[in-house]
Amino acid sequence: MTVTPAVVEEEAPTKKGLSFKFPPEETEMGIIAGIIGAVIVIFTGLPAVIKGVGLILVLLWGMDSVRKTSKYGLGTGVPSIGVLSTGYGVVGALMGLAVAEYGRVGQLYPAVLLGVIVMGVIGLVSGAIANSEKFIAMKIPRLERGMMELGMAGTLAILLECSIVTGSLNFNAVVNQVMNTGIIALMFIFNCFAMLHPYNACLGADERRERTRMCGVEISGLVCVLLGFVQLALGTSPLWDSVSLIVFGAIIFAVFFWKFIKACMDECYETVGTGMIKTIE
Amino acid sequence: MPIEVVLLFAWMLVIAFLAFIACTFEDLESDIGSQSNPNSQVQLAAQVGQINRFFNKAISGEPLSNAMYCVTAGTIAWILLMQLEPLVPGEEWKAAVLAIPIGVLGAVAINMIFSTTSHCGRTAAMKRFEQPIYLDVLYGHLIPIGAHAFMTTFCITWIAYIQSNIGTLAGNPALDHPFALPLLCFVWGITVGSIGSSTGDVHYGTEREFQDRPFGEGKRVVYHGKITRYASCGVRTQKDIAGFCAKFGGPCTGMTFGLIILFTNWTTLVGMQLGGFLPNLPAFTAIGDMAAIWTIVLGLLIVAALAVGNLIFVKWVRKKCGPFVGV
Repeated sequence: MTVTPAVVEEEAPTKKGLSFKFPPEETEMGIIAGIIGAVIVIFTGLPAVIKGVGLILVLLWGMDSVRKTSKYGLGTGVPSIGVLSTGYGVVGALMGLAVAEYGRVGQLYPAVLLGVIVMGVIGLVSGAIANSEKFIAMKIPRLERGMMELGMAGTLAILLECSIVTGSLNFNAVVNQVMNTGIIALMFIFNCFAMLHPYNACLGADERRERTRMCGVEISGLVCVLLGFVQLALGTSPLWDSVSLIVFGAIIFAVFFWKFIKACMDECYETVGTGMIKTIE
Repeated sequence: MPIEVVLLFAWMLVIAFLAFIACTFEDLESDIGSQSNPNSQVQLAAQVGQINRFFNKAISGEPLSNAMYCVTAGTIAWILLMQLEPLVPGEEWKAAVLAIPIGVLGAVAINMIFSTTSHCGRTAAMKRFEQPIYLDVLYGHLIPIGAHAFMTTFCITWIAYIQSNIGTLAGNPALDHPFALPLLCFVWGITVGSIGSSTGDVHYGTEREFQDRPFGEGKRVVYHGKITRYASCGVRTQKDIAGFCAKFGGPCTGMTFGLIILFTNWTTLVGMQLGGFLPNLPAFTAIGDMAAIWTIVLGLLIVAALAVGNLIFVKWVRKKCGPFVGV
């Protein structure tokens, strides 16, 4: 039996036109997605497509944080990190919505960002407790930052989805149209999957961040399509708004699905139509 | 006994039957995609040099992924029901007959999309272990996965639909479940996935290629990944595993889930009946406590009976099937 050496240096030359390089670095990604996401959350009067762009950025940030947190050998813990993030998100979004009325100017809800900040702090504290020698002592590098970003990205994503579906961030509207209808289950599970699935699906020794991010964008596109249909059914926005979100999501999904599968097939060891398995002596 | 109460019990039996079908197919679907059974082996095999022709459906744990399919189906069905129900006043079930299969088809499409991305992604990440992507494995497993997932999601969505309308169907709308359809789908999806993940993994759990070893013997590390390579005849694929598990593992899982649903619902309904809650819900009084007490007592009795039954059964099996290594 041959045992392949466990550590081989990275040597994968990426093919042209298939890499996805916006924005290139994890910190930049966090800053850009955080700021744009926060601005779009506050302005609830924006068209759904723009909220969809914000949602994709925020989910990509969340996916990056999941990757960052889970990279150090958590293994089967990847899905739970994604769920943790969305759990933070739902709590943070409810907290933000509860104070949304304070300081409201027309369609502007700056107070909801309180939920985002509080969840960031809670994430930071839980990360510190998990890493601290005195408590759990997991000693995972950069866990504090990862947990903080998970909380913030999760909250922003849930708030953006509520904003897309209801067209505002009014607490009563969200309770009536998101919680009572059960749409919160759809938001919860697809937020989880947009964050956990890319890294979970690309897990392995030769995982590459750009390829993983393509998968993330693809799922975010799918989320936009579903939210567009929900918006259409609830009739909270004009028809063109929902239809444009559906079309936008479908295009994003199709393009990035194709790109991701192409990248996988190009970058894997070999793509063959069929074949026997390698014989082991 | 009033007809409403009889109908409530009848619908409860329908739900238990649907749960049996759902979890049977859920277990087989996870076997075809090697989502739980034996995913750790598929993941490991290439890393220890055992190149295989298995489908690596690493969507996430089964509870979450099933919750996702069921929520998608439930949401699409809910959207369609909102549009279709006003068209057939008085006969709302006709809308459900059209809406639920369409919703489930949408969920199956999403399942197949996620399966494709996870198989391709994981195989591409095993480049250095020389695991190729076999296109016939990719295409050949998608349809069986989708077909089995259709059955699971279909049954679960029907369970959620019946539950959210159980009072209306039985003749007393006050008894409808307070949760909305997508939320019930979420809860049932999580449940069916958990049961499917924990029960009935007869393929890997008992290592059928090591049947000649004593029952319960630990496996050496050198055997890891071997289970993914050769079948009784030729190269092993997951269609073979589904055929193997359909004989015992799948129905066993289905029975587990069906019995759980049956017992919980039966105790609740009997408790409500004995507590004077049926056929009409009284205004809240101390009588509500009696319903809960009856339910809990009945549940404890069932748990005790099952525990004793299990003890006797395991003793009998160990006596019949030889020594159990490690005791």
